[in-house]
Amino acid sequence: MVVMTMQALPDELKMPLAELLLSIADDKLMLGHRGSDWTGLAPILEEDIAFSAISQEEIAHASALYEMVGAMQGQRADAVAFGRPPQGYRCAELVTVSDEFDWARALVRQFFCDHFDALRFDRLSRSAYEPLSALAGRILAEEATHIEHADLWMVQIGRGGDESQQRMQAALDLMSPLAGMLFEATNGNDTLEQSKVYPVGDADLFDRWLADVQRVVTDAGLTLNVARPASDAIGGRHGRHHDGFVAVLDEMCEVYRIEPEAAW
Amino acid sequence: MVTRDAILDVLRTIDDPEMPISIVDLGIVEEVRMADDPADQVEIDILPTFIGCPALPMIEQDITRKVGRLDGVESVRVRFVYDPPWSVDRITTEGRKSLEEIGVTVPDRAQSPELVQINLPVACPFCKATDTRVTSPFGPTRCRMIYYCDACKNSFEHMKRL
Repeated sequence: MVVMTMQALPDELKMPLAELLLSIADDKLMLGHRGSDWTGLAPILEEDIAFSAISQEEIAHASALYEMVGAMQGQRADAVAFGRPPQGYRCAELVTVSDEFDWARALVRQFFCDHFDALRFDRLSRSAYEPLSALAGRILAEEATHIEHADLWMVQIGRGGDESQQRMQAALDLMSPLAGMLFEATNGNDTLEQSKVYPVGDADLFDRWLADVQRVVTDAGLTLNVARPASDAIGGRHGRHHDGFVAVLDEMCEVYRIEPEAAW
Repeated sequence: MVTRDAILDVLRTIDDPEMPISIVDLGIVEEVRMADDPADQVEIDILPTFIGCPALPMIEQDITRKVGRLDGVESVRVRFVYDPPWSVDRITTEGRKSLEEIGVTVPDRAQSPELVQINLPVACPFCKATDTRVTSPFGPTRCRMIYYCDACKNSFEHMKRL
């Protein structure tokens, strides 16, 4: 089968691609922002370093995606990342809810998102749009340590004894209802799939993700219950955010808003 | 008129902001192009080690400034390209020695892709013993892991292979 690749993006694909890339970049920027809350406060030194490193990497990867969107829209990456109104963001609710400084919840959130990102970037690394496939391949390789870390800690905590198992199970039970909406499709997703800019894999994205996380959860001696979202569910991917979102956005953008044109 | 060699000589004087290794020995200089007309426009392709590495803007500024000072150079443009992807294999032997001196080891050159990659133990940069282990896959920067040598009881850093 000959796969047509493209160096330049046709006009009709620009909006759909921006929607998809923003959903990924916004997830990662918010995840990195939340993860960085743990710097200086993680339970052990190695995890302080790990969370900080992972968060830094999430934001670095978001930044590269914002550069790509910015180039399409004639804007600087900073303006794309920090300059939109709340309804302009495409992140899922899971990444912006507070973890209430419960490390188990932070781990579960990272675990769900790392496995989802691996699948999204695997698809993008086969994109017909070459600049994107090159970037995605690189991101996928750099993020391999994230999944290793998340899986390791799910099992360590799950099998760590009664208290740690209970607390990890509680975190899973609390965060699972939000996981499904990671899979809400962005505007124009079908167009991206048909044009092979976001080529489908051999199995449904949600099914693959569920199998991947279920394997680890079972290994950890825990249980998981995540439902596929209704096909007409409207949430973060369409700019509809939970009540606490504006506060998170305001906090994250506070410095940028003081002087948006500043060069850092 | 400026020569490619003159430009490369200047690039050899530009170090990574954090480690005592030139960007040439680090293997991030992919291509130096001089426009035909006008012949004073220089374009340099750099491979990022890691996406969004904070050292990159500093390296870009150093390149623009130092190469820009060469006689016969009117403008310098630095492009960051992801193809081919940078790998630790691009670090030169000289570069490996410089890094070892500050306690940073580099993975051995990859075997051919057809062979199964065997993870050889990492030799301590201080005492050369192979009695070493990973203590953290996350280090002070995204490109480095933390190892410990049970022989001489020192921590050291190891460059990650993606």
